[in-house]
Amino acid sequence: MGFDQLDPLLHSQLRLAVMSLLISVESADFVYIKEQTESTAGNLSVQIDKLSTAGYIEVTKQFEGKKPKTTCKITSKGITAFETYVKTIQQYLKP
Amino acid sequence: MEEKEISPEESLKLIQSMIGKARRQYSDNSIFFLLWGWIVLVASLTHYYLAVYTSFEDPYIGWSLTLVGAVASAVIGAKKGKSRLVKNYMDKMYGWLWLSLGLAMFTIIFNGELVGWNTVPFILLFAGVGTAVSGAMMNFKPMQFGALAFWILSIIAFRQSENDQMLLMALGVALGYLLPGYIMKANSKKHGV
Repeated sequence: MGFDQLDPLLHSQLRLAVMSLLISVESADFVYIKEQTESTAGNLSVQIDKLSTAGYIEVTKQFEGKKPKTTCKITSKGITAFETYVKTIQQYLKP
Repeated sequence: MEEKEISPEESLKLIQSMIGKARRQYSDNSIFFLLWGWIVLVASLTHYYLAVYTSFEDPYIGWSLTLVGAVASAVIGAKKGKSRLVKNYMDKMYGWLWLSLGLAMFTIIFNGELVGWNTVPFILLFAGVGTAVSGAMMNFKPMQFGALAFWILSIIAFRQSENDQMLLMALGVALGYLLPGYIMKANSKKHGV
């Protein structure tokens, strides 16, 4: 039996970490994601853009006073992709 | 964290650890329990004192403090929501739970005359539901104990006069809001929520 292909967008450490965080919450601030994933702002920004372009997450940019505030939220497409990814991973891990 | 390829095992571990991190986040909501605990304690004791020991015509005057409480809660809630870096489903459920209970309490007080001003037993019951569910959501035993106290006091209150009900109300918020509220505050300071 052949294994299904793992979604290359999710099969990457930082992007998977971001998606795993977002699947458990309603929405999260960029700063929170950066802290929890222990990543650099530059790298995280690039990966968030990739996830957003794929339609896996929704990014909202606002201003709070003079400070920019970026909020990320997982989309239903993202949830489906994440669930498929977990199912595929399980195929790989079955003895 | 780098952007790099990972093995399926590493992948699963990462998912578990991230979900765990997100789940551990819960907000310190003690301020609401302390605010309402003190407001209701002062209002009910004032009511009891004025009704029993004075000939003051409007012993319920102290309850006007609840309006201050409602405004303060709305302002604090909005501020907390804005400064929060992560919105989790628990906070959302928590907010809706207390908003609905607040409306239920308001409804029973607003229609108090129709139930012969026997409002306290109902308020105690509603507060018991709120603290039972909040306590279970946070896995916080003192609040669940408070819920039990509210429930028992409600059963007693149904059998007491309006004035004596005020003492049970005061005892209820002391055990169900203030005590767990102060423990929650101390815990969150210790663990730095």
